[in-house]
Amino acid sequence: MAGTAQCLGYKAFGLQILSEFPLPELPRTDLPGQIGSVSVVQADLSARWETIPKITANLGTAGNEVMFMVKDTAIFSIQNGSTITVSPAAGADPDSVRLFILGSCMGVLLMQKGILALHGSSLVLEGKAYALVGRSGAGKSTLASYLMDQGHLMVSDDVIPVLVHNGHPLAVPGYPQQKLWQQSLDYLGMNSSAYRPLFRRETKFAVPVHDRFQSEPLPLAGIFELAVGGAEEVKVEPVNGLERLHILYNHTYQKALVDPMGIREWHFGLLASFVNRLPMYRLTRPEQGFSAPRQTELIMETIKQKMEEMNR
Amino acid sequence: MSMNTAEVLSLDSVLVQREGNIASDMDGEKVMLNVKNGKYYNLGEVGGAIWEALASPVSIRRIAEIMQETFEVPAELAQQDVIDFVQNLLNEDLVAVVSGS
Repeated sequence: MAGTAQCLGYKAFGLQILSEFPLPELPRTDLPGQIGSVSVVQADLSARWETIPKITANLGTAGNEVMFMVKDTAIFSIQNGSTITVSPAAGADPDSVRLFILGSCMGVLLMQKGILALHGSSLVLEGKAYALVGRSGAGKSTLASYLMDQGHLMVSDDVIPVLVHNGHPLAVPGYPQQKLWQQSLDYLGMNSSAYRPLFRRETKFAVPVHDRFQSEPLPLAGIFELAVGGAEEVKVEPVNGLERLHILYNHTYQKALVDPMGIREWHFGLLASFVNRLPMYRLTRPEQGFSAPRQTELIMETIKQKMEEMNR
Repeated sequence: MSMNTAEVLSLDSVLVQREGNIASDMDGEKVMLNVKNGKYYNLGEVGGAIWEALASPVSIRRIAEIMQETFEVPAELAQQDVIDFVQNLLNEDLVAVVSGS
């Protein structure tokens, strides 16, 4: 079927995605995105996979190409920030294949295009974008869901593309779905065992959010890092100085690839170019109990206080 | 094992940046990441200029001359500031002594 496949244009991550694979959760478009266009094509990658230099059993990189293999699912190749090639395994679940196209592959592709991607969710609060970052289990998805229930729009979920222009970060929309498939997030983390089970570890549903989606980029006005433990009550504290660099580095999507891709210098330079102008806060919640309402109150108080300070 | 902390610097000490550090500009201040220990440093504006001077082996005396010219400070002050700052870099193992101390 090679060469005959129909390419459909979709819109996500500031990109027009021309895909041979149907991506039903994405809105359609015929126009190039703010960041350009990319192709998703199907081809046999088994020979290429054998020869590419490996970083781990499942991950290889050479020049402007990153490849990874997910057993019983597919081999993926991301090249030059412009093409994602997919070689599905026999009998692979198309939902799983798509999950990796829209997660790990897009994360690598954005990096290749020189776009910072943070790992977390971003939402519209008081007219600007704010990012929620934090470790797995810190409660990003729960808080994001709660904020959306309160009427706040989602900008992106899981992968937050950040365009930096003249030292001003802009949050680029992902696509209108809250993806609660945790398993793809950590897949490329290189400290994980190559053989740990990848799927069905945690089964959640993907929730379409078409009516609660912010489809145009917005200035990124702040970052809240979610943390758990210690205090008995939810508390918020500003993060200052060099620790902000650490937060940005730590919550970069697929940070494990920064060095293998040879982009550490670019990455650090990009972070330094805007880190001074981006307020950051650490929001700590107790381990027990449902904290989202109180977290939301503190976030909104913090944002309003900051806006008053700036208007003074 | 480095014995950097025991080094005593003089104006004739010649030092050079160690490899494995990435520096970048942050609103006029130089920030740096040591890739090996994962630590971040803010060298500031003056410190950043000293760091740049250390890109190839250079004596404390020569760095102080450059600082004196760039920031228009008296020679003695420049020398003392440079010695203090470079001593900090040495303590953090960010620079190496090539000769002369």
